[in-house]
Amino acid sequence: MGSVTGNFQSESPLHPAATAFLVEAFQRGWSDPEKRHAGSRKAAILLNEAKENFAGHLGIRREQIEILSDTALGFHLGLTGLLQSDSTLYYPAIARSEVFAVADGHSSHKLPTDSSGQSTPPSGSESDVLAWQLANGETGIRAAHPTEFKGRIFADATASGALLPLPERWSSALWSSRAWQGPAGLGIFAIADRSIWRNPLPHFDQRIGSTDFSLPLAIASAIALDAWVREYREREESLHAINVEIRNFLLTEIGQVDIAGSVDKTLPHLLSFSLLYVDAEMLATELDRRGFAVDSGSACNSANMEPSHVLSAMGLLTHGNIRVTLHNLLDRQSVLTFLQTLKALVFDMRS
Amino acid sequence: MLLNCLGMRCPIPIIKLAAALKEEAEVILLSDDPATLPDLTAWARMTGNAYEILSAERYLVKRL
Repeated sequence: MGSVTGNFQSESPLHPAATAFLVEAFQRGWSDPEKRHAGSRKAAILLNEAKENFAGHLGIRREQIEILSDTALGFHLGLTGLLQSDSTLYYPAIARSEVFAVADGHSSHKLPTDSSGQSTPPSGSESDVLAWQLANGETGIRAAHPTEFKGRIFADATASGALLPLPERWSSALWSSRAWQGPAGLGIFAIADRSIWRNPLPHFDQRIGSTDFSLPLAIASAIALDAWVREYREREESLHAINVEIRNFLLTEIGQVDIAGSVDKTLPHLLSFSLLYVDAEMLATELDRRGFAVDSGSACNSANMEPSHVLSAMGLLTHGNIRVTLHNLLDRQSVLTFLQTLKALVFDMRS
Repeated sequence: MLLNCLGMRCPIPIIKLAAALKEEAEVILLSDDPATLPDLTAWARMTGNAYEILSAERYLVKRL
């Protein structure tokens, strides 16, 4: 476990509960659940159990679930599947780039995001579509429910996982298995009402291919979800306290820092802050050298040298940006060591 | 004072700007870094200073 304590990146190793079951999952779930052999029948039972587990934690029904081997594809399925020729797609300026990609090919409207991370959708018409993020993956800020919107809602739950409920009138929804330390390459996609959703992929019927994902990984993900949620609920208060402690330290011990959102409006395990006059790439490299892995939304850390569209949409400082994810098993002592290391590095870099 | 930061990447233009404003009350900043505009906005808010866009890549920054 040693090196894991310094891991403040969004990625984390597969949950130990899933790792422990992985070999068995491959031994038991190798068969095609669609066929009629004894092995297939077992596989079908395992798939149903996994779906029941997802459904219970995510607040949906088992038959609404489709499992995807590519989470990003879910944005296309979820949005394009709801769009009609007269629809306008509304999406917040802090939406994920996959949403921007879909918006590019349709009549669409980007909603401005204020400094607190909120966007206000219009009431729209019944055929309009709203790409709505339950929580933002960079800042952890939770979005207020879009109660006024009359159209169809695609709920992006890829960052919030099982932590936040879907809006009352959702039409399609997407989760990423990584949100609960499940295996990468696994998305959970749900459609509330098949009658208003049209499969945008080449297809013969309304089904999305149901065999092109790894059943063993889906089982592992369901196990990870169960264990992760239990752990998170136990640790939630402590993660909240650590989040508050980091914010206070940044403001009083380091200073000249721009913190995204207030702690009572964000998921407690996510935090994004930008340090004035600090080069994020240099800071992240120095932190890594000392055993701390963090993410950054600054331009110097991105492939296209553009600053994070989330930070600039909210009017937050884009340089010197550090994102930390507080994983379930994180202990307070490693956070305190991280903060002292950060303080010393920032002091050096600013002088 | 004219501060030419063309070709420089964040956070260097903002660092140089802050240093220049210690000596000068007004600085014309030239910068083509895509992070400069959002960062000037955030910097002005955080430090209580002000700026205006003169033209593309050209900003007038005032110490308040």
